Amino acid sequence: MRPREASGFTLTLLIAGAVLWAFVSTEVDLARLFSSGPRIAEFLGRMWPPSPEIMSEILKGSAETLRIAILGTLGAVLISVPLGILASETMTPGFIHRPVRTVLALIRAIPLILVAMLMVGAVGLGPLPGIIAVAFHATGMLAKFYAEAIDGVARAPIDALESAGANPLLRLRYAIWPQMAPVVARDTIFRFELNLRESLVLGVVGAGGIGFYIQTYVRSFQYDKAASVTLAVILMVVVIEGFNVALRRRFS
Amino acid sequence: MTTAIDIADLTLHHPGAEGGSPALSGITLTVQPGESVALLGASGAGKTTLLALCDGRLRGWRGQVSVLDHPLSPDKPPALSARVDTGFIFQEFALVERSTVERNVLNGRLGRMPGLAAFFGHHSAADRAVAYKAMSEAGIADLAHRRVDSLSGGQRQRVAIARCLAQEPKLILADEPVSNLDPARADDILGLITGAARARGVTAIFSSHQPDLAMRYADRVIGLRDGKLQFDRTAAEVSPQDIARIYHEAGSDAPLPPQKPGLRVVT
Ligand SMILES: Nc1ncnc2c1ncn2[C@@H]1O[C@H](COP(=O)(O)OP(=O)(O)O)[C@@H](O)[C@H]1O
Ligand SMILES: [Mg+2]
Repeated sequence: MRPREASGFTLTLLIAGAVLWAFVSTEVDLARLFSSGPRIAEFLGRMWPPSPEIMSEILKGSAETLRIAILGTLGAVLISVPLGILASETMTPGFIHRPVRTVLALIRAIPLILVAMLMVGAVGLGPLPGIIAVAFHATGMLAKFYAEAIDGVARAPIDALESAGANPLLRLRYAIWPQMAPVVARDTIFRFELNLRESLVLGVVGAGGIGFYIQTYVRSFQYDKAASVTLAVILMVVVIEGFNVALRRRFS
Repeated sequence: MTTAIDIADLTLHHPGAEGGSPALSGITLTVQPGESVALLGASGAGKTTLLALCDGRLRGWRGQVSVLDHPLSPDKPPALSARVDTGFIFQEFALVERSTVERNVLNGRLGRMPGLAAFFGHHSAADRAVAYKAMSEAGIADLAHRRVDSLSGGQRQRVAIARCLAQEPKLILADEPVSNLDPARADDILGLITGAARARGVTAIFSSHQPDLAMRYADRVIGLRDGKLQFDRTAAEVSPQDIARIYHEAGSDAPLPPQKPGLRVVT
């Protein structure tokens, strides 16, 4: 066997082993698995009809989620501008941008909900840990995007304007800004959309926003109310998505 | 103005290539105001390097160089106020892709405006008139509000030319303006550049690797090979031997390259 085939075979064995291990150690009871279908259906049935009484909670929760996303994104932008410059290949030498990029990759690898749980432990319940968690988590992606926006700026038109006698400020205004601004705006909006979507669940761990009500109503068996909140969340995601599609077209 | 370009005993190594053979060596030449000159040479001959030097972009050379009667320094870039007078048409156009044609052409005006007005984009009527005249001359006035990234290569080239003309330069430098064009387009573009220069009474230097085009559109042809000047004659005087000297393998006795029809065109 050639080395490539050998490693492919080993990989297949490993995957098969992992699947087997998961089955055996989870003690999947087949009877329970089959009976869970009707149970889920019955659960969903209890969620119907959604309760119309909790409009004010939904509005309050949504507004708080929106605030967390806005302030979290703002925080991420503020941290990402300097970090993005540091992570840019064209602005800093390798011994700076390489470690900064590694740190950003590590930040991206930590799930938001985990950061939020830690922040609730650190600063207590409410929207503040949510905002901090979103700002931290989003920086991993946003700073990387900003670095790419900086590195994507073509040098030639800047030199061309210098050759035509334009001073550094004019080169920034007419050669760098038009290349960067739409990219930065698009990336920031994209990240805001993700922030908004991801912060919908922050309330489940006590970090503020509409997710708090889902958790509360499910725990207290008020499934009709939980259903209303869930519907509101779905609606918000759809609206955000539509908004985002329109904006992205604008900043192509 | 006494000379457009005056170069004496110029030698230049690119940064990082100091050990190897120089990109330009022992160059001495003069270009008179109002002349149209072709720099002819194969790839790697040093055409781009010589043009960039005249545009004030290169440092660390030896010799004397003066452009439009201003001596250049090998140590520091020329003042922006001097750079406005030299217009450069880049081989790869060097346009701001996301900006409109009009914006790119107006960018040629920036160096000639008061700083604050330039920053806020308050172009005077006279300023706009210069830019729009350049656009109609280049045949792109109807594209004014299109974004450059939606244009074809030929259209982009015309935008680059219009930006240069909008700058109202006293010296036009064009790096291989027709290297990627089919013959008919090549004639249009070289006719446009040298025609615009002659109409304004300004000097034009363009580089090319096509002898027929060089001789058809330039008053004078300067031949370069491996960074050394091979000949410097009026277009009518360039001989097939001259052409062979810049394109032929040194010391080889292979036959001369086939003569291009333009070789016999003497105007
Ligand atoms: N930035 C650079 N760094 C190092 N060497 C360069 C650089 N630019 C050009 N050269 C070298 O200088 C010589 C002349 O190049 P160039 O002026 O671009 O020739 P041409 O425009 O006639 O094709 C070539 O040998 C090229 O490899
Ligand atoms: Mg070249």
